[in-house]
Amino acid sequence: MSILDFLNFYLIPGVVLGSIYALGAVGITLIFAILRYAHLAHGDLATLGAFLAFAVVTGFGLSPLAALPIAMILTAGVAVGIDKVFYEHLRERPKIVTVMASLGIALMVRSVVQVVWGVDAESYVRGIVRPENYFGLRIKDREIYTVVFMLALVGGLQLFLARSKWGKAMRAMSDNPNLALLSGIDNKKVVILTWVIAGGLCAASGVFLGINTELKSMMGWHMLLPMFAGAILGGVGRVEGAVLGGLIVGIAEELSVLVLPSEYKAAMAFAILLFMLLVRPTGLLRGKVL
Amino acid sequence: MKSKILAIAGGLLAATALASATAKAADVKIGLIGGVSGPIAAMAPAMIDAAQLAVQQVNEQGGILGGDKLVGVVGDSACNPQGGTDAATKAVNIEGVVGIVGPHCSGAVLAAAGSVTIPAGITVITPSGTSPEITGLKDNDTVFRTVPSDDYQGRALARTLKGMGYDKVAVSYINNDYGTGLANAFKSEFETQGGEIAGYAAHEDGKASYRSDLAELAKGGADTLVIFDYGDGTGLTILRQALENGFFEKFVGGDGMKSEAPIKELGAENLSTFVASSPVGEKSKSLDMFNEAFKASGGDPSAIFVTTSYDAAFLMALAIEKAGGDKAGVSAALREVSNGEGEPIMPGEWKKAKELIAAGTAIDYKGAAGDENFDANGDVPGTYALFKVAGDGFETITEMK
Amino acid sequence: MELIGLANYALFMGIFIGIYALLALGLNIQWGFAGLFNAGIAGFFAVGAYTSAILTSPYAEGRLGGFELPFYVGWIGAMIAAALIAWPIGKICLRFRSDYLAIASIGVAEIIRLVIKSEAELTNSARGITNIPRPYGDLPYVQSQMAYLAIVAIVLLVAYLMVERQFNAPWGRMMRAIRDNELAARAMGKNVEYRRLEAFIFGSALMGLGGALFAHFNRSITPEAIDPMVATFLVWIMLILGGSGNNRGAILGAAVVWTIWSVSEIATDQLPQEYAVKAKYIRLFLIGLMLQLVLRFRPEGLLPEPLRGDLRSDDVSSEK
Repeated sequence: MSILDFLNFYLIPGVVLGSIYALGAVGITLIFAILRYAHLAHGDLATLGAFLAFAVVTGFGLSPLAALPIAMILTAGVAVGIDKVFYEHLRERPKIVTVMASLGIALMVRSVVQVVWGVDAESYVRGIVRPENYFGLRIKDREIYTVVFMLALVGGLQLFLARSKWGKAMRAMSDNPNLALLSGIDNKKVVILTWVIAGGLCAASGVFLGINTELKSMMGWHMLLPMFAGAILGGVGRVEGAVLGGLIVGIAEELSVLVLPSEYKAAMAFAILLFMLLVRPTGLLRGKVL
Repeated sequence: MKSKILAIAGGLLAATALASATAKAADVKIGLIGGVSGPIAAMAPAMIDAAQLAVQQVNEQGGILGGDKLVGVVGDSACNPQGGTDAATKAVNIEGVVGIVGPHCSGAVLAAAGSVTIPAGITVITPSGTSPEITGLKDNDTVFRTVPSDDYQGRALARTLKGMGYDKVAVSYINNDYGTGLANAFKSEFETQGGEIAGYAAHEDGKASYRSDLAELAKGGADTLVIFDYGDGTGLTILRQALENGFFEKFVGGDGMKSEAPIKELGAENLSTFVASSPVGEKSKSLDMFNEAFKASGGDPSAIFVTTSYDAAFLMALAIEKAGGDKAGVSAALREVSNGEGEPIMPGEWKKAKELIAAGTAIDYKGAAGDENFDANGDVPGTYALFKVAGDGFETITEMK
Repeated sequence: MELIGLANYALFMGIFIGIYALLALGLNIQWGFAGLFNAGIAGFFAVGAYTSAILTSPYAEGRLGGFELPFYVGWIGAMIAAALIAWPIGKICLRFRSDYLAIASIGVAEIIRLVIKSEAELTNSARGITNIPRPYGDLPYVQSQMAYLAIVAIVLLVAYLMVERQFNAPWGRMMRAIRDNELAARAMGKNVEYRRLEAFIFGSALMGLGGALFAHFNRSITPEAIDPMVATFLVWIMLILGGSGNNRGAILGAAVVWTIWSVSEIATDQLPQEYAVKAKYIRLFLIGLMLQLVLRFRPEGLLPEPLRGDLRSDDVSSEK
């Protein structure tokens, strides 16, 4: 196998897939760090985001990339709404109760998608796109968009967390909620902000999966476990860790066929994760130990 | 606190009672159990619609038995044994169905048959449970299927391809009973015929990328990829990624790939080298009649397993008519209406069939997916043809022997 | 609809509730007693189901099997196999707390699922194992269901009594002490790792038994049965909704959740015929919504963990 083949057919697809996982994993890691529970409706929320973008694409004739911000805003709104109606009153309860509630939400969101858009496979743009050739590297435009947008979104988020007042408040909540509350941080606003960010990124991951493949009503549910693996791998609460973790999971899945029978592809993410937990339980970038 | 539990329990009981109160005595019910939620959610609605078309035709042409209304009760097997047994138990005991069309997935068929329908003596016709394990069930002759076993199709496809000059192929199949069965049969026959399998790998359902899988398969140097998967599921993703990256030149699919979805999503212009096999009626007039009726009712006749679903429901109605509505007699009657002897009945010819049954004449149903003459195990031999993409649909190239 | 039909349905529900109650009891030992977040129930369920299936089913070409042992040997084998699988997993993973164990156990369960789905020599891969004997399966429909329900009920009762006895014994107190304050328990000289491993193995053995009961009831087992939704998450919902830490709560939770799961379909079937397929999607919504409602109004579970000692008197005064 030549080095170019390796790049074209194993590494590049892995990076693209990893970028999609990373967008979801960042949301998961934020919710883990600030609200302190595993949000199992994350995958189905991504499906909803992808289909909202689909509605915009078919309804207004926009390109999928133009529909992306609209879908992100809508999904962020839905996420905040779900939190207000269903999760808020469980906040003082053991976290496991909210985890179960989020499982119920996953079913409800999927049901809405299936009732509204049906269960057929859809795509944003009909037809196929053959990759461009850049000095032997075969890359499609949309693959570049996926990686660039992922990096831009996460970079923006990092800046926001590091520089802005509310970003600092979020980090404070993540590090020590009691201290943060004592110092006068408005808990409610931080929670809403968390959901806006998580919901928006979630929609982005769904839309990019849709752009690169197809839209299916179960697509998000199938992504849930790899996204979680990415979040834990990178270290809980670390945004850049989640990106790294998502990329590693995506690349590992694509490379796994070199060493494992392809039916075990889905196991690769977990094998890495188990190994990582054994040798370094805080994740790659020293996250929280829950 | 106790009162709350009681309230919940009471509410649920009330819901059950309410539900059952609406059943009318004169209706004859058949269960249409399918994987509406779960992994084959994209395929199930069309299959159920096709079965409902048969029910509708029966009702439009004089009803069943003494002019009663035939009702198709839809149940969700979710494509797993838990859902399959649950839906079958409800259909048999709460709805009081005379026979069941479904479940769709083999695992659900095996479980529902083992724990519900065989003990209860209810006849089951599955339109899509392709597992060879169903053949070997100790079922007192109550489990049938209108879909030919994978083995036959895989072998026929191998012979046909070899005959058409495909010598070296790679095979990618979905890791479930459908994909495994087809791929095994195809591989052994293709090699027997002197062809070369240059790549052979299963893939897990529902992943977002299969490019590395495809790259591995392409290493063997084959120019043809044989895909055993579903055209509106993972098969679509694989076909798209194989086309976009130019891993292979020619593509071959099993019946699962002969779906509208690749044409709709990838464009017919990109599928000029794509062929797929699919079951056809021996008298292709049957298929035409079904296609016309299903199109008129707003369905897509080239969707996966719709012909077998329709045949299963129509055969079930014929058998119930023949058995005079007696549950225990349905399986024997089913054999009588499909043993290859008697006045041929085409899809939709309910009125004619009803009159002939009343007159005591033997009838033989010629289905949209084949003649549907059951063998001793309740399986049907298949008649297959190979299709290519033409215009915005499929067109036959050759019969498969 | 006839009464006999309703009775039959009730029998079926009873059997399923019994099987799920075993899984929920097993989980209660792990989560309710010991605070171990096992999100890989499906894995142990599968190991139990397949072990018993291989031990008791007749010979079939191409896979392990043909031992045709009596069903109770299969069931004991299922418990042992699940425990044997749980031992190394526990040994490795129990050092992680809560959420990490969850991810690790989901991973192990997924790997078990993929092995079962792919290894033809062992499990007949995707085709599954059929012709598993069902005790008293030769009786007519109703009687055979009644007999099986009786067996499930006896197994469940024995399991319940054993777990309950352990729970009230010093062992149970120690487990709760470890769960609620690991550091203090350790300081008192308790071997925390060993005790946790014990709880993990016992719980997993019960899950394996549940899997075996399931396989024999359906006379078949296929990889679709070990889908994480129906074999892991559903059990979690049952335990949390019923009341974790309370064995009766676990059983009640299994009953309530399975009833919601199954009866919701009858409810959505009342929609007009042209919505028959959409009704199935709406059913999922209904299930989700019912969950939210129960969690909203009884977040501590239907039967919360009984409080002991000093807390008990406080509790009585504050609840009434």
